[in-house]
Amino acid sequence: MSSYKSVVISAGKGGWGGPLTITPTESRPYIYSVTGGGIHPVAARIAELTGGVPFDGFKSSVAFDKIAVAVIDCGGTARVGVYPMKKVPTVDVHATSPAGPLAMFITADLFVSGVKPDDVKAK
Amino acid sequence: MSEVVYSSTVTSIGDLVPDFAEQGILVFFGRNAPSELHEFSIIHSPQIQVRAPEVGDDISLAESVYQVLAVGDVVSENLLRLGHLDLKANGLAKPEMPGDVNVEKLVLPTLKIGDRLTVISHS
Repeated sequence: MSSYKSVVISAGKGGWGGPLTITPTESRPYIYSVTGGGIHPVAARIAELTGGVPFDGFKSSVAFDKIAVAVIDCGGTARVGVYPMKKVPTVDVHATSPAGPLAMFITADLFVSGVKPDDVKAK
Repeated sequence: MSEVVYSSTVTSIGDLVPDFAEQGILVFFGRNAPSELHEFSIIHSPQIQVRAPEVGDDISLAESVYQVLAVGDVVSENLLRLGHLDLKANGLAKPEMPGDVNVEKLVLPTLKIGDRLTVISHS
């Protein structure tokens, strides 16, 4: 029995990629915030709407295969590619486009950017 | 007058750092970064954190010195909150990505544990 709900996350102003539909599951429950200063408001919004478990990547770590979605505040080079490379759906709160050494892994079915809390909607 | 506004010591170096360096990019993170970021990052521990680099500063890495040509909008937040810096030796006067710090197009050094990253202000 699962009580998780789905959200649709669309690119914000100047953003790229998506929309992504995210549904946490029993085996992938975590809304993984890899951002400075605790759980980012976008991650909090996704967790609130889906029932997923918010998780601060700078406090402790979790296996990639338990992550429903990663929320990053990446300026475009590093974090932006790491999670898509591991096939983890990725939301960048900054409006970045695929670039950098990991650009080949950043695809519209796995990545959306420029996202604000209002760009996360219940499905 | 010159002043050191940021100073840090390298504590570990990821296996993919030489591949990134070959492309003129060095990625730095603080020690609390999640483990999946360590693979391509130089992990460091800062001693002085007055401010992030600005255009016209010098960045020294071990024995090499580079002039700062451009600084993206989220560099300060990244560096002061997460110890995160994307350094690009590309010679460009405009940041391609909001997290970029561009310096002169020179060869980047092969850093070792214990080497220092220093930002020097001349204003």
